[in-house]
Amino acid sequence: MHKSIATMAAVASILFLSPAVSAQEKLDVGSECTYFPFNYRDSDGVLKGYDVDVANEIGKRLKAKIEYTCMKFDGLIPALLAGKFDLIAASLSITEERATKIDFSVPYRLSIGQFVAAKAKKLVLFNADGSINKAAFKGIKVGIQRATTYDSWFQAIVPDATVVRYEGTDAVYLDLKAGRVDAIMSNPMKIYLDFLSKPDGAGFEVIGPQIAEEKYFGTGAGIGLRKGNDALRKRIDVALTEMKKDGTLDKFSKFYFPFAIH
Amino acid sequence: MNFEISLIWESLPKIAEGAELTVRLHLLSLVFGTVLALGLVLMRISGIAILSWPAFAYIYVFRGTPLLVQVFLIYYGLAQFEFIRASPLWIILREPFWCAIIAFSLNVAAYTAEILRGGIQGVDQGLHEAGRALGLSTSQRFIHVTAPIAIRLSLPAYGNEMISLMKGTALVSLITMYDITGVARTIMARTFAPYEIFISAAIVYLGLTWLIQRAIAHAERRFSRYVRA
Repeated sequence: MHKSIATMAAVASILFLSPAVSAQEKLDVGSECTYFPFNYRDSDGVLKGYDVDVANEIGKRLKAKIEYTCMKFDGLIPALLAGKFDLIAASLSITEERATKIDFSVPYRLSIGQFVAAKAKKLVLFNADGSINKAAFKGIKVGIQRATTYDSWFQAIVPDATVVRYEGTDAVYLDLKAGRVDAIMSNPMKIYLDFLSKPDGAGFEVIGPQIAEEKYFGTGAGIGLRKGNDALRKRIDVALTEMKKDGTLDKFSKFYFPFAIH
Repeated sequence: MNFEISLIWESLPKIAEGAELTVRLHLLSLVFGTVLALGLVLMRISGIAILSWPAFAYIYVFRGTPLLVQVFLIYYGLAQFEFIRASPLWIILREPFWCAIIAFSLNVAAYTAEILRGGIQGVDQGLHEAGRALGLSTSQRFIHVTAPIAIRLSLPAYGNEMISLMKGTALVSLITMYDITGVARTIMARTFAPYEIFISAAIVYLGLTWLIQRAIAHAERRFSRYVRA
């Protein structure tokens, strides 16, 4: 009896320990790879961006090898749940809705949204006190990326608005520029770098304040994990907290933006 | 990962709402495409180089490029040009619905023209001779002898084309439209349950395919009366 228990314990210890001993830990990371400047490929095809820097740094601190899989944003959470990769590093905002399906690390950047429209349209989407002017959304089309926080915010706050959903932000800008949508909602840091600061963005402006309602936009963007990976999640949390303290996140964000974004 | 069978039934009614758009896209493109195909096939078999070559080139281009590329060229490509956005054409081209109709019609016309050509060339030479012996003119022979038989011969392949176009309409979910696939993807964004939601979508598509199959079978029976009698 004692002997068999001892044998089982020995077998179990081999089963559990051997991967850690024999090979370096590998973490498969899912990302969108087209969300400049958070996760994108440069002209040489190298994956870059704030999310990528953070994920690579996590790999370094956890002594794990990071490998990336790229896919459309709306496929990331289903693919994580299906076990296609272990982590999501794709500017994924930590929201109540998503937290029912997956776990999140502590946030590593702010999560906010803002409207952009043509100056000539003179849209008044907000009242003088900063509250949303729901009547102004009648008869206009707003472009957003599918399955994002902006999508759930619209469905809850302005359900009557005509929302046009796109695969990625590039298409949103194209149709704003072409006039197929009247306004768009996205991340203000991203809109600034991607669109407003470029020749294509001439004639367009941000409208209204930055929106950061925690219920929809969450406490920020975090790393997504399957539920039940508490050990890994805690190690990532420790790494992220250290990165915040020792200025690594500052360094990463100032590489892309003139200000800190975490 | 757990599988919730109830999600399939819950999402079915919403996804079926998207079917209305799928059906409208399908029928309109079929009508426009088939009319265009009639002109194309007449050009193609005319034996006059100045007519048959453009038809050949058209068919080559539209059969030789992916439907998705054609949809993107028309929706995003044309919108890039300032002069198109300033022209009256923009009233049509700014709507994803009409961009899709244009792409699908042009595409289906190329395939249908080839299907009809096969049908026309499959008509027995002896029937032409019989028609000539009866003193029918070329156009009379085409309308009263060749066409009815050619249509009968083309129907099975045309039914295939109808079904493949119906599935092709799913591409409009990529240009912001809420067809069956578009609605399914929007629901998936909230439920994160692709398996259940896409099974729902597949059920609706199968239902539509069944209707098309029935319609084609009915038409085949009708056009083969001369064989059975």
